[in-house]
Amino acid sequence: MLGYIRSVPAVWRVLVCLVFCRNLTSIGAAPICTNAQTGCQALSLANLFDRVIQHSARMHGISNDLHSEFEQYFLPSKNQIGRVSRNCHTSTILTPNGKENAQRMAREELTEVILKLLMAWRDPLWRFHQGMAHNHDFNNFSSNKALEMSDMVHELRKGVEKVADKMQMLGIISNSVSSQVSPEALLPSDSAEWHLMRDYDLLYCFRRDSNKVQNYLKILKCRIVPEHGC
Amino acid sequence: CKLVLSAAVKRRVLLTLPMMWLSLGWCVFFVLFWGLFVFSDDSLEPHFTECISRDQETFRCWWSPGSFHNLSSPGALKVFYLRKVSPVSEWKECPEYIHSKRECFFDVNYTSVWVPYCIQLRGQNNITFDDACFTVENIVRPDPPVSLNWTLLNISPSGLSYDVMVNWEPPPTADVEAGWMRIVYEIQYRERNSTYWEALEVQPHTQKTIYGLHIGKEYEVHIRSRMQAFSKFGEFSDPIFIHVTELYSEETTFPLTFILVFGTLGILILLMLILIFQQQRFMMILLPPVPAPKIKGIDAELLKKGKLDELNLILSGGIGGLHTYAPDFYPDEPWVEFIEVDPEDSAAGEKEDHQGSDTQRLLGLPPPVSLNHHLNIGCSSTISFPDDDSGRASCYGPDVPNQDTLILMAALLPGQAEEEEATLDEVERAPSPEGGESHFVQSQTAGSHTWVNTDFYAQVSNVMPSGGVVLSPGQQLRIQESTLSAEKEMQRKGKEIGACEETGEKKQKGLQFQLLVVDPEGGSYTTESTARQISAAPNSPTPSEGYQTIPPQPADAKPAATAEDNQSPYILPDSPQAPFFAPVGDYTVVQEVDSQHSLLLNPPPNLSPHPCMPQQPLKALPATPVAYVTPDLLGNLSP
Repeated sequence: MLGYIRSVPAVWRVLVCLVFCRNLTSIGAAPICTNAQTGCQALSLANLFDRVIQHSARMHGISNDLHSEFEQYFLPSKNQIGRVSRNCHTSTILTPNGKENAQRMAREELTEVILKLLMAWRDPLWRFHQGMAHNHDFNNFSSNKALEMSDMVHELRKGVEKVADKMQMLGIISNSVSSQVSPEALLPSDSAEWHLMRDYDLLYCFRRDSNKVQNYLKILKCRIVPEHGC
Repeated sequence: CKLVLSAAVKRRVLLTLPMMWLSLGWCVFFVLFWGLFVFSDDSLEPHFTECISRDQETFRCWWSPGSFHNLSSPGALKVFYLRKVSPVSEWKECPEYIHSKRECFFDVNYTSVWVPYCIQLRGQNNITFDDACFTVENIVRPDPPVSLNWTLLNISPSGLSYDVMVNWEPPPTADVEAGWMRIVYEIQYRERNSTYWEALEVQPHTQKTIYGLHIGKEYEVHIRSRMQAFSKFGEFSDPIFIHVTELYSEETTFPLTFILVFGTLGILILLMLILIFQQQRFMMILLPPVPAPKIKGIDAELLKKGKLDELNLILSGGIGGLHTYAPDFYPDEPWVEFIEVDPEDSAAGEKEDHQGSDTQRLLGLPPPVSLNHHLNIGCSSTISFPDDDSGRASCYGPDVPNQDTLILMAALLPGQAEEEEATLDEVERAPSPEGGESHFVQSQTAGSHTWVNTDFYAQVSNVMPSGGVVLSPGQQLRIQESTLSAEKEMQRKGKEIGACEETGEKKQKGLQFQLLVVDPEGGSYTTESTARQISAAPNSPTPSEGYQTIPPQPADAKPAATAEDNQSPYILPDSPQAPFFAPVGDYTVVQEVDSQHSLLLNPPPNLSPHPCMPQQPLKALPATPVAYVTPDLLGNLSP
């Protein structure tokens, strides 16, 4: 039982490794592995951070593309932003709103925020994709992007979790980061609020949140992995 | 029933439809027109022009009063903002006004990213002219990059295009190192005079290679930046100029060498062609022809073409002719020598003397006297005949080794009265040591006639085996004349000249007188060789066609022999009397040819007929005797 439990993280890590190796640009010929398994190349924290940051940048790019594509169909009014902000479901999560705030925040908290955000978007994006696939108004290109976006969120979350684990292993952060998301962040599948959210608003919110994640990861990396200019 | 509509209903519908459309059109038109009127630029409300954040930490908003100029004063319009951070939010006024720019500045404390902002432009009495909502990350326009520079990467092998690497630094206001802003750049370049900017793909790196720029053209490059995954670009940077001129590289020297090689080859070929075609000219320059001997004043063409009339005219010194062959004609041509038929061995040594004496004679001066001058002493230098080409009297003197002969000859040669006397006096003085000749001379002087000084050129009548030359009858006559008076005083060594017999003999010798017919090509003087020829073959006509031999008497060797052996003062002619001709000069004019094919010659002027000679009718000399017989006359002469 214990062995099975211990092997599960290992299996998870291997899976994550494979996913990352498949999706991200390859760093080395040897597969990535942890725990110094034979035949693997152990990744450094900096390398992990780079991978994760690259992934988040790509995710944000896709979300931006989709959002601008949706913007063609909907003429944004000046008050659009105000209206949307009320409906973003992740607005309950406290996030630092500036560079100084993010830099002042504890690493564990920052990591936790990132994970929370990613967690909160897993289901909505899945549903969004489902809605786009069934809706013939959108072309295949947008549908594929939506699918890719949901997958990316999923993978990014896993990656950040891996990074967190690594940090815990290295003793950078003290206690384990709980990836548990507060229940209020999770929307019920058939809630009215969800349906009120239109796809455009969803995309707008996700675009904002992916930008947040990207910035937070960068700041986190700058604080943890010493680099010039940080 | 519902399917079938009545025709009247149909008609009505059809009629009303266009009316409806027309009215609708009018309404739209009116609305638009009114709308335009309302929303024209003339009446523009105060509004926000733009809100920009440069570093995602601060942002600014600008407004414009529009056409409401009364609200342009600072403080008339106010900006209120609302930050939806918390569910309960209130409108606050702008934290920092910059009225000169009509700007509201939000610094770091008032800026929250990912937080929706709403601003309002309010006037007096809370009248809201304009409002806007945004989030800060959407209004970020980064500053342009700084420190642009370019480096040449390479030049194409053709030397026409090159690649350039442009690199720069991110804007200092953007915190790129911390990763707070991820900036992507867009490079644009264009030719100097073009208006169209060529844009390259946006990329996050701080360097970019521009390919395919043309050498010689000047390019302008500027860069702008924007946030990654956002759409708003910042301002363009200051442009930099790229200009690469022609570089001298190895590739460019290749055509240069080709041009040089081909150019030199072409020039060489051209020179060769010029040489080939202008060969003669070059030959003239390089190897100029040796000037042939020429006669001044005579065109060689005349001689070639055989215009002898003209030639004769020229030679005779007629109208347009040459100058007389006067002694002063060749003042500057020393090569003009008088032909001397001297034996070669003595010629060298005595040429100077001869020349000197010739010169003396030419100039009319008394010749210098010396015993060595066994020639030419007493030769007159004056021209007897008035004819021009009677020649100069280059006194041919026999190369007489013995001085007695010389003295005798000198004594016997009559000249002009005074001069000869002087000369004879000199001669008289000279041989005085020899003795016994003084009276001879005196007698000669007493009874000497003043012969006409014929010429410098004396006709050669005979050449003696000893090498001496027997002169023409002209001089022979003179000699004969003098010896007549002095025959008593004859020396043994001297030439013994007798009376009429001797004279006759001499005449016989003189019979060998030949009339020289000048061949146009030939010279006017006889040479030694020809003289010998003449003497050698007296009977036969000379190979030269110009000679007309008067049948001479064979008396060649005899005079010489008799001269040497015979001591008696008398020399008996060996041969019978030969037809005796009147004494003639060296050159006479052929007057006519009589029926017997004998030449009638002009006697020399002032020539007294010899008593022993039969008188011959002498004809008057022509005014200008011509000494040369033209071929035309020659034709008459030939039998």
